[in-house]
This record gives sequence, structure tokens and C-alpha cells, in this order.
Amino acid sequence: MRRCRIESLGVSQPGRTLLRKGALTHALTAGRRCLKASHYHPNDVRVLINTGVHRDGHVCEPAIAAYIQHHLKINVEFQGRRTLAFDLLNGACGMLNGMHLLTSLMQAQEIYAGMIISSEANSDRRPDPGYRFPASGAAALLDLSPKNDVGFGAFAFHTNERQAELVTSTVSLATKGGHLLWREQAGLEAAYLAGASPAVASVLAKDDLRLDDIDLVIPAQISAQFLEQLPHTLGIAPERVLDLTATLPDTHSTSVLLALKQAQDAGRLPPKTKAVLIAFGSGVTVAAATYHF
Amino acid sequence: MVSKIKLESLGVYLPEKVITMEELLAACRHRPSLDLERITGVHERRVAEGEYAADLASKAALRALAMSRYQAAELDVIVCTSISKHNAPDEFSFEPATAVLVRKAVGASNAIVFDVVNACAGMLTGIYILQGLIRSGAARRGMVVSGEQNLPLAWTATREVRHSLDGQLAALTLGDCGAAVILDESSDPRYGFHWLDLVTGAKHDHYCYSRPSARGHGGILITKARGLQIKGNQHFPFYFKQALDGSGWSVDDVQHIIPHQVSVRAIKTGTKALKRFLGVEMPDYFLCCAEKYGNTTTTSHFLALHEFMLRGRIHRNENVVLVSGASGIVISHATFTLDDLPDRYRMHLAHEVQS
Repeated sequence: MRRCRIESLGVSQPGRTLLRKGALTHALTAGRRCLKASHYHPNDVRVLINTGVHRDGHVCEPAIAAYIQHHLKINVEFQGRRTLAFDLLNGACGMLNGMHLLTSLMQAQEIYAGMIISSEANSDRRPDPGYRFPASGAAALLDLSPKNDVGFGAFAFHTNERQAELVTSTVSLATKGGHLLWREQAGLEAAYLAGASPAVASVLAKDDLRLDDIDLVIPAQISAQFLEQLPHTLGIAPERVLDLTATLPDTHSTSVLLALKQAQDAGRLPPKTKAVLIAFGSGVTVAAATYHF
Repeated sequence: MVSKIKLESLGVYLPEKVITMEELLAACRHRPSLDLERITGVHERRVAEGEYAADLASKAALRALAMSRYQAAELDVIVCTSISKHNAPDEFSFEPATAVLVRKAVGASNAIVFDVVNACAGMLTGIYILQGLIRSGAARRGMVVSGEQNLPLAWTATREVRHSLDGQLAALTLGDCGAAVILDESSDPRYGFHWLDLVTGAKHDHYCYSRPSARGHGGILITKARGLQIKGNQHFPFYFKQALDGSGWSVDDVQHIIPHQVSVRAIKTGTKALKRFLGVEMPDYFLCCAEKYGNTTTTSHFLALHEFMLRGRIHRNENVVLVSGASGIVISHATFTLDDLPDRYRMHLAHEVQS
């Protein structure tokens, strides 16, 4: 079966700006950069998936992906070529879920190009002190790889639903406009680490790889302390785990793509590199994917 | 590659408590002068008490599993497509995904789980996704489930509706329901989904939206119903015909059309628009149970399938078209031929009642 690759990437970096940017602004910035870097025309995007969790004004209908599609001017009318836009929510693992879906839809010959966008922002005037993610955005355009040895290898998801209460994100509707509440319990990072080994072992087995074959592990940038423990948990040398926490905070669902973009820009992903992308999210879920550059 | 997927099992959960349109209108602080029951055709709907969206989804999932030949641990994927993620009073939940809670409730310990949100087209979007996963070989079987606890939006409307043209009026037609379908590969090419197509006309994303109220507690649903209906009726007949053409069917091959159960009047208007576009007279294909259950958003197609299978109107070997219009605007069509599901479903529920 043909592989699916990331054809272009676009990001909207976290950082302080004079005016606070919302989730939609970050999504559009990342989306426009991704489309600009792509060889595809926006109208070639057959499926657009938004995997961002926290959105402006806590809107829950329609799909935020429809707003993104509208602003990026991707087949906005019914006539002619068509696009399906929807949201996929699975915490910080949603981005890898979305990539898995797009890969499957391409391999099932339903589509030939799809786009995934994620952005995070807390639009509350007085944000919950527990909410710690700076606003950011990331987008990737995926297509069928022209080369057999380039692109995604396999995906694996490990969920431990018995620990689902360790992290929750809810909007309290008790006050006007709603108020986002982010709750993390002690032991969350330990739960992430516990899920990392089975997820990575499963994805490597599916792709017929061994841990020694992996040149770089690109994890979500949870925290410096967490990324210190991850190599030991996985049984891999620390220099083969990408740690950008000195400059890149945890940005929730956009984190893996932001780290991937920085690694790409720093020249750390030359051809023939084999990488594992890992995301950690509520559920508690650990998502892993192998990628052949 | 797998060529077709089919509905292997269905589960619907309806809360027992019934609330009529008159009771809901009587609860309004400013009762609208319009006769909403006459205009929409919605007489009553079910309301969940002491249970939440994830409970409705989990109960429907358990019912689907009860008549399925698969055990929960054999499911490869669970996609939850609820819009109303109310899992506690006055609270909307983003994380964990509702699908995680369903996985926990049913014991589907090997399933990949995630939520999909695409307004009222959610379950059809979930089926489209699952079709891709099954056809690519990434999954063998899976469940699409939704639990809609919509009444909190209706209660906000009773507090906030101020006049007869208020954008929140449509929230007074909502009802609660849970629905789940299990899908797998169809071994007989005559049965299963022949066509499944969804398109988002994002230029029209402003006709319907839901968010927390800016005036008080609770969530609101704002609908520009007339505009939404006009745009939908302008465009959906083209995609309907395309679905028939893609399935190799003519109008005469169709036995049932299940539209999104927005309201009785909306379904009648849609029928007229379709007849105009096709230029043919059509018998009474359109199935409607909105008068009894209201608009149960994502679950409405499968609630109607449940209702009309139980009434004995839907039988094996019959061709069905699902038509959906959702905020976004999303227009979706699915065509499928039923195997022995209606017989099995009636037998299963009869057996359940006896026991």
C-alpha cells in the first residue's frame, strides 16, 4: 500500500504579541503558510480536519473547520470542486488521529490530498490559572507519497481509560460566556510515560522496525523534566529524543508539529531519517507514528 | 481492498420522560406568539433526567453491542460524534473525548477512540471516516456513536427567547437521544453502503451556531432557520441526484428516504424542492418522526431507522437514502441496501421485551 507523506507544513509560533491572537487567527496563519509552501492549490484539499481543542468563544457548532475552510477560501461554495470540513477532538493526540485518518482515506482512494489544522487559545478574559498552554497554530498538507520509501509508516494509539480523570478540560456554563477549566492531577506525566513504551513498541512492530532503526524521536514538548525521563523509559539514547523545551513550551495539540517544523528548519531531518512522532493527551492516550524522511 | 461496508448492528436509547411543546412554551419567560407546534410539527420529545450525553451514548452503544455478533473487545475503532458534550450540569466537556468514556463503559479495550464534531452531520461523517479506515485495512470493524443531550439548549431558550423571531426559537424543537451503529465489511456486494458523500459549503457557516450564552448561564443555539432552509433546499437536490446516479439507482429504485429530522415542515419543504429539481412525482418515500421525538441532531437518522423498523415499514432488501443538512453548511447523502438487519432488529427487541 502506498505511503502518505507530509507535503507541506505551516506553523504559527507561540509568543507574546501586542494584540492577543485567538485560535482562529493562529489556525489561519498556520494554514496560509502551509498552503503557500505547498504545490497544491487550496481547492485541491478534499478533506480539512481541525484538531484544535480550545477555540474562540468556546463555540461548539458548527465545526471550527468550516470557519477555517471559509477564511482560507477552500471550495467555499457548493458548485464545482468540493471539500469536507470537520473537527476531530482527542486532546493533544488529535493531530496524530487526524493524520491517521487522512492516510487511511488516501489509501482507500477516497481522496488524494487532505489538510489538518490545529490551534489552541483560551479566549477567556480572565483565564483559568491552571490553563498553561500558550496560543499557537500548526497545519500540515498530506498527500500520497510519490516515493515508496518516504512518508508515514504506521500509527499506534494506547489508551488507558481507567486514568481518564487525570486530565480534563471543561467549559463551565454557570457564568456568562463560559469559563474554560483545565484540571490536571498528580501522576499525569507518569501515566504518559507508562503509555509511551507500549505505544512505541506497537508502532515499531507494525512498521517492522526496531528501536535501533530510529534516528530521532519527536515528542510533544510536555516539559523538560518529562523529556529527561522519556529516553530512559523508551530505552533510547537521550540525544535521539528531540528536546526543545528551552525555547518551545508545551502547546497542547500543536506541539508535535511545532517540534517537527523546528527540527526540519534546523536540518535535523535529512533524507533517509526514520523518526517516531509521539503525542500525549487526555484519555489517557499516547499516540505514536513512524515517519520515513 | 474492502469494497463496501454495511450496518451490522444498531442501538438506540431514548430517555423515558416526555416533554411536550406546550409544556416547553409554558416555561418560557416571554412566550412567543407563534404557534410553534403548528409551524414545526414537533409535538413532543424525550428529555434525559439524571443522565448526561456520555450516558446516552454509552447506553446506545451497549444496545448496539447486545445485538451485534461482535464483542466490545473486538471493536477496532469507536468514533463519538456528539455535539452536546454535557457530562455534568451547566458544563461542556472538551476532554477527555466522549469516545473514551464510551470505551470505558462498554469495555472496548482494543479500540482506537476519538470524537468527531460536524454538527448534525456528525454520525454520517463518522461513518465516512470508518469507511475509510475499514477500506484501507486500518480497521476491520468499528462503532459510530452519539449521545445528544440537547435540552439544556432548550432550557436556555425558555429563559432567553424574547420575541417570535428570536434566533433561539429552533432550540425549542430539540430532543434527547442516544444512537450507535456498528459497521463492518459487507461480504455480499448487494448490501451495504453504495454511496456516501459529504460536502461543506463553508460560505454559509453563519446560519447556525452554538456557544455559551452571553446573557446568562447555559449554552445557546442560534439558528437562522429560514436562510438555512433556503440554502439547503437550493443545493441538496443536486447532490441527491448525484447519490442516486453514483449508486446506479433511479428514483423508482428507492424505497425510503430518511431526512435529517429538523421539523415536519422542513421535511415537507425539502420534499417539494426535490420534486421540483427531479421533475417527477414521488410517492411517500420520506420518513418523518420529528413530531414524536423533535430534532435529536446527530442521532436523528438512526432514531428514524429504529422507529420505522419497529413500525414494520422498513424491510430487508430495501434501498434507503439518508439525507442530511447541517450547520456549516454540510450537505450529506448516503445510499444503502439493507440486509436482514430489520428482521434481526425487530426480533432482538421483541426478545428483550419478553425477557
